[in-house]
Amino acid sequence: MSVAQIERELARLRMNEDGSLGARASVLNLIVVTSEESAPEVARVVSELSGDYPSRAILMISDPDEGEANLEIGLSAFCGVRHGMPGGAGNQVCAEQITVHAEGTPAEHLESLAGPLLIPDLPVFLWYPDGDVPGSPECDGMAALADRLILDSGAAGDCEASLRVIANLMEHDEVPAVGDLQWAALSPWRSLVADLFAPPERAGELTKIRRVEILHDTAGECQALLLAGWLSGALGWRPEPADRAAEGRVFRFDGPSGKITVELYHDVPETALRRVRLYSEELSFQVSRYGEHTDARSTVMRGEELLGERTVHLGSSGVGVLLGEELKFLKRDVTYESALERLVEMLES
Amino acid sequence: MIDTQLSVDVLQDDTRLPKVPEPGAMVIFGASGDLTARKLVPALYDLVARRRLPMEFVVVGVSRTQMSHDEFRKKLRKALDGQRPGGVSDDVWDSFCGNVFYLSGDTNKAETYEELKGFLKKLDGERGTQGNRAFYLASSPTLFPSIVEKLGEAGMNRGENGGWARLVLEKPFGRDLASARELNIDIRRYFEETQIYRIDHYLGKETVQNIMALRFSNSIFEPIWSQHYVDHVQITVAEELGVGARAGFYEEAGALRDIVQNHLMQVLCLTAMEPPVAFDAGDVREEKVKVLKAARRIPEDEVENFAVRGQYTRGWVWGEEVPGYREEKNIAPDSTTDTFVALKLFIDNWRWAGVPFYVRTGKRLPKRVTEIAIQFKPTPHAPFAGAGNLEPNVLVVRVQPEEGVSLKIGAKVPGSGFEIRSVNMDLLYGTAFLEEVPDAYQRLLLDLMLGDPTLFIRADETEGAWDVLDPVIRFWAESKEVSFYPAGSWGPEEAEELLMRDGRKWRRP
Repeated sequence: MSVAQIERELARLRMNEDGSLGARASVLNLIVVTSEESAPEVARVVSELSGDYPSRAILMISDPDEGEANLEIGLSAFCGVRHGMPGGAGNQVCAEQITVHAEGTPAEHLESLAGPLLIPDLPVFLWYPDGDVPGSPECDGMAALADRLILDSGAAGDCEASLRVIANLMEHDEVPAVGDLQWAALSPWRSLVADLFAPPERAGELTKIRRVEILHDTAGECQALLLAGWLSGALGWRPEPADRAAEGRVFRFDGPSGKITVELYHDVPETALRRVRLYSEELSFQVSRYGEHTDARSTVMRGEELLGERTVHLGSSGVGVLLGEELKFLKRDVTYESALERLVEMLES
Repeated sequence: MIDTQLSVDVLQDDTRLPKVPEPGAMVIFGASGDLTARKLVPALYDLVARRRLPMEFVVVGVSRTQMSHDEFRKKLRKALDGQRPGGVSDDVWDSFCGNVFYLSGDTNKAETYEELKGFLKKLDGERGTQGNRAFYLASSPTLFPSIVEKLGEAGMNRGENGGWARLVLEKPFGRDLASARELNIDIRRYFEETQIYRIDHYLGKETVQNIMALRFSNSIFEPIWSQHYVDHVQITVAEELGVGARAGFYEEAGALRDIVQNHLMQVLCLTAMEPPVAFDAGDVREEKVKVLKAARRIPEDEVENFAVRGQYTRGWVWGEEVPGYREEKNIAPDSTTDTFVALKLFIDNWRWAGVPFYVRTGKRLPKRVTEIAIQFKPTPHAPFAGAGNLEPNVLVVRVQPEEGVSLKIGAKVPGSGFEIRSVNMDLLYGTAFLEEVPDAYQRLLLDLMLGDPTLFIRADETEGAWDVLDPVIRFWAESKEVSFYPAGSWGPEEAEELLMRDGRKWRRP
């Protein structure tokens, strides 16, 4: 199937029963590099995403180890009627999905397949959902196609190793801006922690923080580490040699006005991050999951006295939602980069 | 390296994290009314749930009705549940409503304000609201001057201990130029213009803001957006609903005051304004005021040539027979109130000299739609002999219900000749982002708490809009004539004639 045939077939898929064409609204190209096993789930996530970020999604399923060269292409269009609008063909909007299944030698040159299928003039996001990280940019032409690379430091299992690889990758100038789904999942937590110190009289407490406790499960390990890296970088805490205890991990820092420890503890599964507690000399600040884990409760205490509290929605942390968050950004996320850089420094202390 | 004495929260220094306003209290006058329960509190609840308001944010409702804090909270919860059954989180609500309070009191009495002042001070201590206050006047507009005066006399026109005080006014801002000026003078006796936030919820709509995005982020439109290329502009704000429960208010106001003075003039300004230097309160509002300054005043003795007043009679809307305006409840049987207005306006400046802006609004029109249609001049010469009537290009910016841009262009009909047909090219840019669009009040209340008045109306904007319409108001006050149109039509015959006299006709939106 040629590129022209693919384009023609995609247009045909957008055709309504009366022969009119469903409008194609596209804001981006999304290339996904995935495996045979993950492909159905990834395709589902991408199709759901088409509602918020209409795009041309290109799913690349590659198997370079397969001896014989083979190329299969599947096409689909997801058309929906815009919410809140009266029905009718004219209001139908479609997003497109192209699945490229490459075996053998073509699988070693995925960029030659993905490149011609991109919609011109729109940004290109490259997502590796399975925790793979392109080994080096020189040998992975895919990165050259992309404006932004979306990774998931939590998908591969060994979080610490993944974060180190990402940090290493970002040192190459030719690598596009990098996003991490674990960082996206951390955003509401960072926002809630930051808000605790927003009133001017509490901003001063940031320099008096002595201890931080982060409670997380295995799935939340990357987020816990990134949170520690972020706090350390933003608050100017210099890393000192760390401890690794059986039940968790303790980072030690030298801050602008004293020593600080950040303790990471493992919690029951299925909560990712469960609780963040920051202790200053007089006050304690806490953000924790609440209710059915979909809400978060923030509190400020002086000893046993409750000084302030609120409960808000934490939002979903499903892969589709996190990916959507990452698709909002095109530029480099300097806060992520410095948090990650600081974290690697902490891990090596 | 950071300072050892931080006075700002460095953790918030990240573009990915939402900007959260300073702590503060929002005081709502007229809190037992419809607006509070239907619009303000749902918007505030959503802002709280979405982590857009700080922990130290409180709402204090003030009204004459006797109610306890709890009764007020229950009433608001009931209204919210009614709007979104099952969609309210108990935990989030409990946390929000713990910061919602109610004071009953007569807003004409100084004691009410002393009590309020003391209560807010207490909340500053207990809830950390830092002396910042936003006073939201959701009460009857006749009470505005008195509330403002009493706030001023109680010293509440300044925040406590260096905090800020802001004043929010709901439309209508006066009934005509004289009363608007008087209101502005009354208010500014106590509040600076920078403290005043006049709400026109139209400006909080994403789609209305998109007019500016379309014009000022796309270089292809700007060069043709002038009298060189534009033949005329049509702006339509149509409603299919009748006067409903607002009869008392509407009978006094009419469409000119209810829609034209605010929503329609705002859309006109956004359509006609020059590009602002920056998207900030000073620059954007300055450019809008320039449009109003340039809008030609209609001579009072020529109003009939430029304005049409209409009123709906019994008719059919969307398969349902509906009563005429004079048959509605609480409407005088000989009422001449305008339920439809069409105007021909000119913006006498370099860009728009000689280009008519036809604007219309009405109730009980066939459907709810807001759109701006820019009709371009025809081509100077058609080289295709026998190509038929070449229609001019029309660029339509649809604001609601289906946001988008549509461009009518001429294209060749396939075949051996050279026949040209018009094709509508629909660019549903609204569909590019299908995310749930936040309610206009959410955006405006957040901007209010953040202290960004860009999307609020400045005093000279309200006065400028009244100044343009004043001759029409005066003429209609004298004349008893009103043109009728059946409900479900696009307005009276006279509105058609207004354009026919210029050799043009209204679009069917």
